[in-house]
Amino acid sequence: MKKFLKTLIPFDIAKGLTITGTHFAKVFLSANRRKVPFHVVSEYPEVPAKMQPRFRGRLQMLKDEAGEIKCVCCLACEKICPTQVITIESGKKEGRKTKLPTRYDFEMERCIFCEFCVESCGFDAIILNHQFELAVYNREDMSLSMEGTFQNMFGVSPVAKFSVADEEK
Amino acid sequence: MPTPTLTQSLIIALLQAILVVVFIFVVVPLTLYAERKVLGYLQLRLGATRVAGSLTGLTGFVNRNMWKLGKVPMLSYWRGIVMLVGDVVKMIIKEDILPTKADKFVFFIAPAISFCASVIVFAAISFVPGTLFVLPKFIPIVGGLPVSGAVGDVNVGLLWILGIASVGVYGIVLAGWASNSKYPLLGGLRSGAQIVSYEVPLTLSLLAPVVMSGSLQFSEMSRSMAVGLPYWGIVPQFLGFFIYLTCGFAETNRLPFDMPEAENELVAGFHTEYSGMKFGFFYLAEYINMTVVAALASAFFLGGPWLMPFGLHGVLNPFFTAHLPAFLVPLLCEPHAIFFVVKIIFILFVYIWVRGTIPRYRYDQVMAVAWKYLIPLTLVNLMLAAAVRYLTV
Amino acid sequence: MEQLLIKIGQNLFLVFGLMALGGAATMVLAKNAVHSVIGFLFAMLSMAGCYLTIGAEFMGVAQLLVYAGGIVVLFLFVVMLVELSKSREKGLFQRQTPFALVLVVAGAVAFVGVFWRTIFGSSAAEALTLSPNLMAQGEKLGNAQMLSRGLFAEYLLPFEILSVILLVALVGAVVLAKTERV
Ligand code: SF4
Ligand code: SF4
Repeated sequence: MKKFLKTLIPFDIAKGLTITGTHFAKVFLSANRRKVPFHVVSEYPEVPAKMQPRFRGRLQMLKDEAGEIKCVCCLACEKICPTQVITIESGKKEGRKTKLPTRYDFEMERCIFCEFCVESCGFDAIILNHQFELAVYNREDMSLSMEGTFQNMFGVSPVAKFSVADEEK
Repeated sequence: MPTPTLTQSLIIALLQAILVVVFIFVVVPLTLYAERKVLGYLQLRLGATRVAGSLTGLTGFVNRNMWKLGKVPMLSYWRGIVMLVGDVVKMIIKEDILPTKADKFVFFIAPAISFCASVIVFAAISFVPGTLFVLPKFIPIVGGLPVSGAVGDVNVGLLWILGIASVGVYGIVLAGWASNSKYPLLGGLRSGAQIVSYEVPLTLSLLAPVVMSGSLQFSEMSRSMAVGLPYWGIVPQFLGFFIYLTCGFAETNRLPFDMPEAENELVAGFHTEYSGMKFGFFYLAEYINMTVVAALASAFFLGGPWLMPFGLHGVLNPFFTAHLPAFLVPLLCEPHAIFFVVKIIFILFVYIWVRGTIPRYRYDQVMAVAWKYLIPLTLVNLMLAAAVRYLTV
Repeated sequence: MEQLLIKIGQNLFLVFGLMALGGAATMVLAKNAVHSVIGFLFAMLSMAGCYLTIGAEFMGVAQLLVYAGGIVVLFLFVVMLVELSKSREKGLFQRQTPFALVLVVAGAVAFVGVFWRTIFGSSAAEALTLSPNLMAQGEKLGNAQMLSRGLFAEYLLPFEILSVILLVALVGAVVLAKTERV
């Protein structure tokens, strides 16, 4: 009997309609007042997109306060990477106790952004930054290393405007 | 008023037909646009705001300007309107694909049947009782003659609407068959079964207004449902309104009951094989059907061209004429086509609102709703309506 | 102009009648069964047009609702789902041809006889009316109202008996379609 009544009088539908109706009214009233938007989407190309803190973007190497590379060449990240896109060569530097990478290559085209490398690093030397605009015009631009001004491991990559070819000129 | 000759009345009828087509082609694209926007707003999105994701060229220019519009109050709702142009252009210039094994004649005629049936229905819908406007004197043949609010307000208007609307199902069924492919055939069959079964509660729920008004003429029904009812006429109307709306959703294959299309089971249902303007006709026909259902709902249940819904106007009318200031009386107490159109637009909004809220039913559930719940409910509703009629006459 | 339009208006019945005949011819002659159904639909729509031109709006619209909207859809369903390409089924239909011809000739003779008598016979002089008091009311009532008064007041018993026949057909269909549950 209760079930029958519930089917007959659509309370649930009314509830759902109220919720969506409130959403509609709120977004409708706040859509053009840009200070207090109620909608959850960002108007991306004009307004920079806001990333959640745990967003996994491109791999980036960190430096400490003195400007030294934090990586100590323990090769943990190279080993754990499931797609084997990290290649590290270690070297030495005067006045530094630990080893220093002379080469740190990262082939972004095969990276699956799994964050295993970052989790395995005991020295917090790498992170996945919040960059998601990773489109490039040339395939070589996907290979990052420690050299170069634009496409290197230390900063965010420029968006599809500069390529390695431009740098060489 | 002189009685018009046959030539004159034919010209006026042509004029009315053109007006109806203009009305359709204003309301339908706006509904398409509103569907995107309102669905977005319901889901905390913004809906359509730009044309294509380019920062250069024509679209880039348009997009930059639309972005600027976004900061202006009111105008910001109209940002994606350029998309409509894009939609139409796309439909017209898209390649018209004809499947090799398709039955060419039937494949060609199915969208035409669907579209024509949904437009012809408008002939019997009366936007306002009596005269809509009087043509100015300087027009050559038909100057000074009144243009009435309906193309043909025949005395079996409601049956005309139901009859022609039931012809519309051929478009869908034949399209499904002619494509010579499994998914369209299944979609067509499903929709045939669904429409034929929902026609029963739909017609039964429309019988309540017929019983209460004692007429089949559209304008007469709309008049007596708005101003000719005692206050408890609202009870059967209220129930009947919701039943009618539910059946209307099912008849037009809209979202809680969109069995023929059922994207996740049948690719796109009966119009899987269609492309270009032939698909466009199905698309248009769906939205015109929505407008027709909205027009019926607003005329019979929401008071039509009168201000108040559910027959309240007849109850409040003496009070209004007595107490309102004189300039408001003709505005609020007399029928205006504009009220009718506003109510149609409201029902169209409800269509989109429901689409954004209620998930799709399973096929057997759809049938169960029709046969097990709606038909008994409509019978109860019909008895209530008959009681109202019996007590008043 | 005016005269021409009036002339066309008077002959609209003929136009619709010829269209109905064309639809019927398509239905008989078409190779494809679905094309036949479309011809049938066209004939039904033209018949509705015929009714509308002679001022029987209710009949015309009922024709639309019942035949075009209901019965032809069922035809279409059956025809769509039954594939007539297998030779056995074809043979079945070809064996029926002589019987069908005999029936058609008998029906045609009966119809022509009835028409002959109504047009040229003794009853042609009298106007065809249902009942005089209905006709008197018909002046002020609408088409549908008059028909319903005739059906539900004047001729209630024959009408109900007709509906009982329909009910019997319905029950029969249910009995035939029901499978025994063991
Ligand atoms: S995110 Fe995963 S795939 Fe990418 S470099 Fe790190 S470990 Fe390799
Ligand atoms: S795990 Fe960290 S410290 Fe070790 S090699 Fe990789 S980046 Fe360098």
